[in-house]
Amino acid sequence: MPIDRRKAAVFGGALALRLLLLLLFPSLPDLLTGRVEVSTPVTSFKRLQEGLFLYNRNVSPYDGGVFHQAPLLLPIFSLLPNAQEYPLPTALFYSLVDILNANALVTISNSAQAVSGRLYSSIRKDIKWDGFVVAAWFLFNPFTIATCLGRSTGVFTSTGILYALSAAVQGQTLNSMLALGLASYFSIYPALLFIPLVLLCYDRHAERSSSTPSTALFVVKHFAVFLLSVVGLLGISLLIIGDLSTLLSATYGFQLLVPDLTPNIGLWWYFFIEIFDSFRDFFLGVFWLHLTAYAGSLTVRLRRQPLFVVSSLLGIFAVFKPYPSIADASLYFSLLPLYRHYFPLMRYTFFSVSALLYASLLGPAFYHLWIYAGSGNANFFYAITLVWSLGLSLIIADTIFAALRDEWEQENPEKRGKTVKQV
Amino acid sequence: MSEKYENQGTPQTTITSTASASSLPPPEKPSAIRTRFKVVAAFWAVILFLGFPIWWKTTSIYRAELPLQEMLDWAGGKSCRPVLPVEIEFETPSLSDVEAQQLLRTTQHTLDDLNEFSAHHLRLKLADEEAQQITEKADTALTVRLLAQNDLPSPRSELQTDTTTLDVFYPPSQIPLPSSANSPLSSFIAGELQRLFAEEKATIAQILSNSAIGAAASSNNQAQQISPQLAESITKRLRRSMKYAETYHLAFSLFTPGSAPSSWDIESAVQEYISPVVQALSPISNFTIDTQVQLYATFSPTTPAPEYDEAQGIWTLQEENLSAFINAAEWPLNPSIGAGPTINFILYVPSPDHFPLLVKESKATSWIIPQWGGVFILNPPLPTRPDTNSTKSLSNPPHLPRTSLRPAFLTFSHQLLSLLGTPSTPASLPLRLQTLIRIRAATLLLSASSTLGSLARLTESLPSIPIPAPVSSSVSTTLSHLSASCESLRNGRFRDALASARVAETEAERSFFEKSMVGQVYFPDEHKVAVYLPLLGPIGVPLVLGLLKEVRRIIIGWKGARSG
Repeated sequence: MPIDRRKAAVFGGALALRLLLLLLFPSLPDLLTGRVEVSTPVTSFKRLQEGLFLYNRNVSPYDGGVFHQAPLLLPIFSLLPNAQEYPLPTALFYSLVDILNANALVTISNSAQAVSGRLYSSIRKDIKWDGFVVAAWFLFNPFTIATCLGRSTGVFTSTGILYALSAAVQGQTLNSMLALGLASYFSIYPALLFIPLVLLCYDRHAERSSSTPSTALFVVKHFAVFLLSVVGLLGISLLIIGDLSTLLSATYGFQLLVPDLTPNIGLWWYFFIEIFDSFRDFFLGVFWLHLTAYAGSLTVRLRRQPLFVVSSLLGIFAVFKPYPSIADASLYFSLLPLYRHYFPLMRYTFFSVSALLYASLLGPAFYHLWIYAGSGNANFFYAITLVWSLGLSLIIADTIFAALRDEWEQENPEKRGKTVKQV
Repeated sequence: MSEKYENQGTPQTTITSTASASSLPPPEKPSAIRTRFKVVAAFWAVILFLGFPIWWKTTSIYRAELPLQEMLDWAGGKSCRPVLPVEIEFETPSLSDVEAQQLLRTTQHTLDDLNEFSAHHLRLKLADEEAQQITEKADTALTVRLLAQNDLPSPRSELQTDTTTLDVFYPPSQIPLPSSANSPLSSFIAGELQRLFAEEKATIAQILSNSAIGAAASSNNQAQQISPQLAESITKRLRRSMKYAETYHLAFSLFTPGSAPSSWDIESAVQEYISPVVQALSPISNFTIDTQVQLYATFSPTTPAPEYDEAQGIWTLQEENLSAFINAAEWPLNPSIGAGPTINFILYVPSPDHFPLLVKESKATSWIIPQWGGVFILNPPLPTRPDTNSTKSLSNPPHLPRTSLRPAFLTFSHQLLSLLGTPSTPASLPLRLQTLIRIRAATLLLSASSTLGSLARLTESLPSIPIPAPVSSSVSTTLSHLSASCESLRNGRFRDALASARVAETEAERSFFEKSMVGQVYFPDEHKVAVYLPLLGPIGVPLVLGLLKEVRRIIIGWKGARSG
């Protein structure tokens, strides 16, 4: 593949920006690592270092109940020099991961699956950004930069998801499933993307081969691959940890049962602090089901645009998953520029973008008021996380609306351009 | 949640043109209707197949089966009527078997006549009968040794203070004749025994009458005579003594307002004066011992300062001010170390300026603080004055040796016994400890039973509280130990009875105060609306409306198909 000069410039610029920030503000990574917006109990770099410390001393990293991340991260990170003394290699590593993610985005964008797939082709397919613009939106997004400098391990999940998508749009269906397996291994929730992703794979497969295979067989086969990849990764982890029940309860059990109610930008922590203990289990079920319920119905409704379903689901996860951080939001925002052609149809762009900006500026301030100044209380921060979630939900709802409107206009060409109202 | 509105309705239903009435949206295509049906079905499938099982599983209340009737029977005193047969052994080295039997019989007869309280009675037997009963041997409470002494006008008794032996000296002439139903000797012995156990009997009567079980057991003998003074002293003692606990923490603290004394021979003092008592009390409770030295411990500002009594050359504290002696705000007397109550013993060494310090009215140096501990003011011998004119140069000795701690710790051991509820009579300490064992066994039996009753009533009155499995197993442990305890009591094995009753009490308390149950006691069903509605309401309304719309469409479709 010939090296695209503009792409190289974007990548180089992003790398330089990250290293420059590190050199100019040497304390910035540690500051960001401690922020609740960047680090959640399941992605925190500090907790990873604690696990690493225990791991390098031949103690089970899950002893002490601090570390809750996938064990495969431990050998990888023990290869890197100590981040406390030599921050540069770790920063470089994270920047490279970002660039890998951007590269996957460029692949997705260049495949043009976002504008025209097997079953659906938008009437606005000419309004489209180039791959390097999409990559630039991702790499120069302040949320992405903060995540990168904060060294959240959530970026590895993002890498898994983005590579699953990029492999899927290229028709490498098995690779796609393996990448999704990796993402699900790091944090469970990407498994919910299986249905739309396998449909995307199916569409690409059907487009390329002359004969359309049986859908059910295709799904079952790919589900088996997905399952095998997760089991394989767990098997390797078992070699590192040795105790399966400890491993499962400390990582997936922790993510499913949400015992750590450290504040984050999500909706769960405050709710589960307040809920009566006896209803905790029930509402855990409700919250998880709420998250799950979208996968099936969105896929049914937007069957013709599986890539769009995946993007929207990622947005929904960024709002409703148990330990969300700005890493999840930045993943969703990285996929949005693929839908440049829907932007003209969106109605609340100004409002939702303002809400997001308002929340991202006031959130740290209110957190400071609550935790450090003591002049505010938990409700200050929670109110801001509500505004943040509202802004995100508005964008998600608006893009879904735009996608539906686009489909409708294609079916009813004579109505194009008419104003609409929701009833 | 707004995206849900979006994806539930198809664009055809959610979008209407406002341009003009003539440009109504085109009719829905069948495929769109099918899609909408599928979307609604997808949501409801999740709710039905995942949501309802989770709801059912997580909110169903686990109620372990409890033997409610049995528990209520215990609380009502129907399962066990506490009786305390006190075994008394006769050693009659100087009497023949027949004579001894006769004496025994008449004495027992006299005793039974005297005793009107059926729950507590004395049972006499001869020492050599013991050999026949190998199993089920009762604890011998008292040994009566009959010793003939020739030059006595009337029988005389002497209680040995360090054993459980009552020596009775009698003139040989008073041995009851086989024919007589009564004799001066037997009535003398009966009277002595009755006197020895009077306080214990009154205490047990008091305890029993205070509880439901006891009331049932002792209702028929209200007529028994307890002298008002005795009743009062028993009430006072019961009020003063600590509530029973499995473990007590003994905290010995040395307080002084100055810098000396700063050390004391506490280890050997505890070893010598406290450990034997603790050892003797070990069947009743466990004890831990902590000590501390606090220098520069001042009185609280509100406490009146000691007054100087010119006439006697002593400093005095008013008796009514003793309650403010402890500076609770500043002296580090932690109310609890771990589980169980703390009994504080305070050794106060006054400053040389206030030497010697006494209680004004009684000239005493120690007192008990009910249910809290004891205080002893130690006025140590001051070093000889180098300069008799100046009292300022005086100082306390820097170290308190064991000899100067002796009075204090003897007092403390005595205070400990009273704080634990040991009766003040009879003189023999082993006898008093045995009494304490009997009293404690009866108390614990009653308290564990009434706890069980409370638990049973709680379970019956609140059908919505969960009953976890540990509660059920605790209850069954309690029940089995209660019956073991009751059985041991009846057979006069009081140590076993106390051991079982302790287990029963601990388990009963544990089951009653089980955390997961207590949490839901004040949680009425109406609160569930407040729990469910705020979140499930907003989610539920569009889901239910969507379902209703689909159902209506299908029904209309059917009707249309039938009519058309």
